[in-house]
Amino acid sequence: MPSRRELLVAGLGSAALGLGLGGAGAQTEPLPKLNVMVPSGPGGGWDQTARTMELAMRTDRLVRDYRVEHVLGAGGAIGLTRFLATRKGKGDEMLVAGMVMLGALAANKSPAKLTNATPIARLTGEFEVIAVPANSPLKSMRDLVAMFNADPGKVSWVGGSAGGSDHILAGMIAKAVGGDARRVAYVAYAGSGQALASLLGGQTTCGVSGWGEFGEQIKAGKLHPLALSSDVRQPGIDVPTLKEQGIDVELFNWRGVFAAPGITPAQRAALVRLIERMVKGPSWQAELKKKDWTDIYLAGDAFGKYVSDETARITHVVAELGLTK
Amino acid sequence: METLGYLAQGFAVALTWDKLMWSFVGVSVGTAVGVLPGLGPALTIALLLPLTYQVDAASVFMLFAGIYYGAMYGGSTASILLNTPGETASIVTALEGNKMARKGRAGAALATAAIGSFVAGTIGTIGLTFLAVPVVDFALRFGPPEYFALMVVAFATVSAVLGTSVMRGFTSLGVGIFLGLIGIDLQTGQSRFTFGVEELLDGINVIIVAVGLFAVGETLYLAAYKELRRIDTIAVKDSIWMSAADWSRSWKPWLRGALIGFPIGAMPAGGAEIPTFLSYWLEKRLCKHKGEFGHGAIEGVAGPEAANNASAAGVLVPMLAFGLPTSATAAIMLSAFQSYGITPGPQLLTDQPQLVWSLIASLYIGNVMLLILNLPLVGIWVQILKIPQSMLYGAILVFATIGTYGISRSVVDLILLYIMGAMGFAMRRFDFPTAPVIIGMILGPLAEQEFRRAMTISQGDLTIFVTRPLSLTLLSVAAIAILAPPLWRMTNMSRAR
Amino acid sequence: MNLRESRSGLFVGLGIIALAAVLAWQTSLIPSEAAYAQVGPTVVPWLVTAMLAVLGVALIFETSGERDAAEEPRGALDHRPLMWVIAGLVINVTTITYLGFIIASTALFVCAARGFDSKSPLRDAAVGLAIAVVVYVGFDRGLGYEIGDGLIENLL
Repeated sequence: MPSRRELLVAGLGSAALGLGLGGAGAQTEPLPKLNVMVPSGPGGGWDQTARTMELAMRTDRLVRDYRVEHVLGAGGAIGLTRFLATRKGKGDEMLVAGMVMLGALAANKSPAKLTNATPIARLTGEFEVIAVPANSPLKSMRDLVAMFNADPGKVSWVGGSAGGSDHILAGMIAKAVGGDARRVAYVAYAGSGQALASLLGGQTTCGVSGWGEFGEQIKAGKLHPLALSSDVRQPGIDVPTLKEQGIDVELFNWRGVFAAPGITPAQRAALVRLIERMVKGPSWQAELKKKDWTDIYLAGDAFGKYVSDETARITHVVAELGLTK
Repeated sequence: METLGYLAQGFAVALTWDKLMWSFVGVSVGTAVGVLPGLGPALTIALLLPLTYQVDAASVFMLFAGIYYGAMYGGSTASILLNTPGETASIVTALEGNKMARKGRAGAALATAAIGSFVAGTIGTIGLTFLAVPVVDFALRFGPPEYFALMVVAFATVSAVLGTSVMRGFTSLGVGIFLGLIGIDLQTGQSRFTFGVEELLDGINVIIVAVGLFAVGETLYLAAYKELRRIDTIAVKDSIWMSAADWSRSWKPWLRGALIGFPIGAMPAGGAEIPTFLSYWLEKRLCKHKGEFGHGAIEGVAGPEAANNASAAGVLVPMLAFGLPTSATAAIMLSAFQSYGITPGPQLLTDQPQLVWSLIASLYIGNVMLLILNLPLVGIWVQILKIPQSMLYGAILVFATIGTYGISRSVVDLILLYIMGAMGFAMRRFDFPTAPVIIGMILGPLAEQEFRRAMTISQGDLTIFVTRPLSLTLLSVAAIAILAPPLWRMTNMSRAR
Repeated sequence: MNLRESRSGLFVGLGIIALAAVLAWQTSLIPSEAAYAQVGPTVVPWLVTAMLAVLGVALIFETSGERDAAEEPRGALDHRPLMWVIAGLVINVTTITYLGFIIASTALFVCAARGFDSKSPLRDAAVGLAIAVVVYVGFDRGLGYEIGDGLIENLL
């Protein structure tokens, strides 16, 4: 993964390149200005999405002026609240958001709703993996489920903070196998490194995490993967999905972009077109490959429906986990 | 030797021009803030923390390490020439150092402090180099119960040594734990102590607390109490070098100071105060010129200064191996790691070997730079003391503003900063130590989380803490640390009667 | 002297007890039975509350002999310079979003310098403005911080 500084330098470099070449070969006039709000701190997944968009849009000369603003706090709730309140009707404002925000909004009982923003497109996503230490007696999801159903307290699940994507997936699995999501003995760590250390050290039974965080250790043979949360098998990864093992759960930690509330259909169409040109462009595709991000592009009304379905589903799971009381 | 190979790789990174520049800026800034009364490495690093959003980790940690070491050197200059220790670890240096300066021996005092710091700092860094790997191997066996027990040890010892009374130390610590608990609970997702303010859901940034307590609090305090602002600098009249007699009286205290400072600094209870006091006590015992103590004995400068710098290296051992900060500066450096998404702990050496080893290499380089900066060039630092206080504290407040508002653009954070400043003022006014607040704020929630993780794993069985040998051992150490001093005092008293 | 010391002890102790009361109130608001956990989210908050309450009571009865006196004599509290610095902070926090970082910081600098006995506000304003501009340019433009808009910022 490139450091933030490298990203920054790359961004500046490509900006200079864009200026130098002028608008000579561009088919359509580039958008004069785009402000993107990142509702979390620099360096996180949303920030990387915004920075990569900047890189792709500048290299492909889709925008002239691209600005990123960070409004962090409460899993994105503060950024969303501010975005909804201050950007009404503005056609050059965007917000990066994703599945994690839905969980945070539900857990914090925040009045702001992601469905109030104008959905533009889903861009990338990361599927989750359930893994055990290499020397664990558990060899498949069937073993894990049997152990969980016998005594939920004996299975300790390690992952990210409560209410995050890892916890949500653990709750979904518990529910799908006929258990009670609230009886999941979940051990939360703020950093994936610590969660990994606890799993490798044999302190916990199984771990739930994004593929990016466990992938290295799985390839090195230190962790044994039991299942992926994706809808279908992933190319190059020889791990069965949950669905293949009879557990009807699929979860993507997706990230997408949203426009301001109350924009005109023309403004919305322009932004959908902008993102489409970016996604189809060479720079975005090259960056996806470089960063090993899964392309799950979905735009317009279909994405709108997806967001409202996800909101209902995630809110429900978070409640089942007992986080909304 | 595997370690030497890694260290060589670390030097390969640290000796590039880019990284040497960061080191140099670090040691220069560090010396400057060490010299200036009221400023310290913890505050300076806290103000520079936002750099972590922009600059790569290796450069930032070289800068911070430079500031950390530099402040130890600068602190001794302020103690000797001004009798105002820049930080707590230099209090002892002022005892004999300032007396020497008053007798026209400022040059010799500065020289023995700088050379002793260099010798002991290098010994400490060598200790860090060779202890890092074995300590990490040990730390890998730690699970939540052991981490919890380790933090109990840290609590039992750290707070008692900071400040004027145990009760006040613990009150500060309790306030710190309270501040650390604010926000969403990691294990259950419930919000705690947020008073309905959405901005508090993510907790209070430790930078805001540190800058508020140290910078804003100190400024308010000095504004209110004019007496404390008076400073009289002693001019350096003799040459900054040592006579043959000074050398022969200094080298043993240096080595003894290093041997006291490093291990104590490396303990979870560590810190720099105990080793300096211990070294002073020891040198006073061993000195052949006992009469000179209290009137400017060179051993009383050489030993404590060496202990101080060796302990600075020692403090980095638990920080890097366990993610356990035992001083305010280490606590803030820890949050710098966190802002890179790096968690110090046993995984650090395997995940980020280049970062760790280049950091250690930069400590060696920084020590050499500091020796040069503080011996021939000590005059420059004395000039800093001539900046008018009105300009200095005005600028500190402007930097405090940028350090908080610049990160979040949140007025709530700025208000929090001032509340912390007011608290820092009140704590100074009523003689509460401020450093335990930061330590409590960082260690408290960590200890709580580890305790609850352990309980989740054991299904609520408390015996997990005593059935695992490592955890049991650590808890026994904590019990001894709490019970031994009062018992010792009681037996002594009964004997005296 | 003795009376004053004991009064300040009473004041400090009551302050800590008041803080403990606030903590107790906030802790009682945390839903403890919601999610699955062997040790709920309220256990440690109650412990800290109890710890501060006990220490608060103990501090009332702590006599000055149980601790060393302040290491340096600080003299009497001087209200005027303190008020100047506080005024600077209040101006800073109330104007920073409207006038911008540079103007708010310059005002803060001038007030703080006045608090530290500076007698030439015009020179302070010039120095403060220079520092604020350099800091703004260095951090916002140089390092890419987002310090936000302001009257002077928008001209740069």
